[in-house]
Amino acid sequence: MAVDLHGSQKAVETLVSKLRRRQVVGSREAALETVLVLRQVVSKARFSNIDQLVSLIRSVGKRLVEAQPKEHSVGNTVRKLLHHIREEYNTAMKANASTSKTVYSISNFVLQGQPRSQNTAAKSEGTLVLKEDDPDDPDSFARVLKPVLMEAIQDVLDELETVYDNISKNAKDHIHSDEIILTIGHSKTVESFLKTAAHNRSFTVIVAETGPSYNGHEMARSLSASGISSFLVPDSSIYAIMSRVNKVILSAHAILANGGMFSITGSLLAANAARVHSTPVVVCAGQFKLTPLWNLYHDFGALDFADPSAVLGFEEGNLVDKVDVLNPYYDYVGPELIDVYITNDGDHPPSSVYRLIKETYDDDDHEL
Amino acid sequence: MASKDLKTQKLSTSKDLPPLAISTTILLMNPEMNSKFDIYQTYRKILQDEEMSPPLAAILSLSELMVESNAGTMFELVKELNDGAEELKKHTTNSISLNAGCELFIAFVTLFPHESDSFAGLKTELIKQGQKYAREAISYRNKIAELMLDFIKDDSVILTHSCSRVVIKALLHAHKTKRISVYVTEARPRGLGVKTYEALTAVGIPCTVVLDSAVAYVMDKVDFVLVGSEAVVESGGLINAVGSNQMAIIAKAAHKPFYALAESYKFHRLFPLSQYDLPTHNPSILSFPSLPPRSSVTQPTGAGVFPQLTKDEVNGTPSISSSSLKQRAMSSEQLAKNPDVDYTRPDLISLVFSDVGILTPEAISQYLVAMFAG
Repeated sequence: MAVDLHGSQKAVETLVSKLRRRQVVGSREAALETVLVLRQVVSKARFSNIDQLVSLIRSVGKRLVEAQPKEHSVGNTVRKLLHHIREEYNTAMKANASTSKTVYSISNFVLQGQPRSQNTAAKSEGTLVLKEDDPDDPDSFARVLKPVLMEAIQDVLDELETVYDNISKNAKDHIHSDEIILTIGHSKTVESFLKTAAHNRSFTVIVAETGPSYNGHEMARSLSASGISSFLVPDSSIYAIMSRVNKVILSAHAILANGGMFSITGSLLAANAARVHSTPVVVCAGQFKLTPLWNLYHDFGALDFADPSAVLGFEEGNLVDKVDVLNPYYDYVGPELIDVYITNDGDHPPSSVYRLIKETYDDDDHEL
Repeated sequence: MASKDLKTQKLSTSKDLPPLAISTTILLMNPEMNSKFDIYQTYRKILQDEEMSPPLAAILSLSELMVESNAGTMFELVKELNDGAEELKKHTTNSISLNAGCELFIAFVTLFPHESDSFAGLKTELIKQGQKYAREAISYRNKIAELMLDFIKDDSVILTHSCSRVVIKALLHAHKTKRISVYVTEARPRGLGVKTYEALTAVGIPCTVVLDSAVAYVMDKVDFVLVGSEAVVESGGLINAVGSNQMAIIAKAAHKPFYALAESYKFHRLFPLSQYDLPTHNPSILSFPSLPPRSSVTQPTGAGVFPQLTKDEVNGTPSISSSSLKQRAMSSEQLAKNPDVDYTRPDLISLVFSDVGILTPEAISQYLVAMFAG
């Protein structure tokens, strides 16, 4: 394959090692870095047909995903980009050939039931003249298509950069005056959501400490700094105070296709306590967290583990080699415990997450 | 049912040929068979293929009907197809999955874009499409087995019900890479669970047949429940061999996932609200026998009444001896008052695996609406 990787190879390798060393953490951070690297890859790539480009991006994507398989947003970003690239290519080709006849067969008839994405306005507007595998000028395909692709990549980047603003846009419709909100962990998404709501409403936030990382401390500090009345409570009192709480707001690490999600440990506890008191559970998350996987909850290891020293340090020397200490970083929260996902593109119930996923990614990219 | 099977076997002249070939050779030999074309016979013949399922057989039979048809307009053709579907339905006791196939094919014919020059051309095209689909659709089970694979972890214990080709295929496929063991219900009255047991033990999957009444007993031991389906309906619910519903209820109570496998040709536009809305339900099912006046009952014998317990059985511990079993087996009249299939509500189903992807019950409803909206 006439693919030249030298230019962008280095950028890919750098991100791979950063992911591996956990220098890039957090799903948005990882997604952003991924787009930037892929932009470099596409801009430097040489290809003369769409298949070459797609397989190039896939191979880069695969390397990145394997570097840190638990940072799902990396794979999601690659899939999303592939989807956009195919879409651009298809509109351009349709303009070229104009008579792309789809065969009408029963199996296609059945597929009409498939959820389809509303056709987003394509960049090319059908003015491109594409010529695949031109023997005289193998670069002509890439030359024509690239500007369009760069624009598409820019769109993905813009979406990631504005994700907090877009999620917080309707914050005041979700939080009412004098409500008591419970949250857990320190999520930038939830933080900006609450701060935005505070412009219009006065409410109280109860933050659980979220051991053993104790991210909640930081969250409470940050919220009270911007004038929101906040309480910090130990995790063990979540159930006891739930009867006073009007709403639980959580963040997600990854949203799975069945409508469940991975989120910081303690979320499952909070969600279950909320269920007992019929308190609504609201999850704020960007759509880049949508992950086309159904069955991760089978796999205990899928939850990622943090440093066990936070649970049992070496000062407990005589205990250390007698017990296995696990510190899972995430909880799997099932779809039945969640009421709504507030995303940068509308609010969705867990039951329609599968549709969002069908619309955002191409089926054949689920396995990179 | 069994007697009809025998009859058709005698009728078919060339048993060794695949069903498609049989029907076409017969058609070629009798050019003026039009009036005598028996769609039900064709259907039975096609169904003799082990791999063929009722909806596909129905699609093939309707294609054959079109070959025979003299219809000159679309209206006539659709009417003939509807009549054919009606005819098939009349002859079978459990017409649900067959209906799904007929419905799919007729909707397809109605919505097919008219691009051929002549009506005959259009008809040939439709026939070709029907046969092509039936050929392709056989492979859908492999696709489902592949999708299912990720959900089966090593050392899983799986509970299944009765006998479903797609479930067996999925289990055999999983067996290649994972250690699984399977409980299968006997599925009275047809006892098809034993067939599943044979298919699975033949390849070395540990398998145990359990009583239909032992589902609750076994539930805590299993990781998930896996069933096939007769049809998947618009509510997102499931129609399957009787016993599936209770299995789903128990699975829900025990917080075990309940997975259904359904090829997309089993998607059926039906919206049952209860068991008794199913097209298979009729007044005789679950009806009470009209007992003769009490005074005249001296020696209770025969069907519809409890067989007399022997003195030993009343007092002593119950023992299952073959003679008492035989005595206590249900009579055919008693069996006739029982349903073949039941309806499982969507809220009891975790996921439906189909060749068009993994779907939640909600997704099934949306899918069906989008599909038939054209």
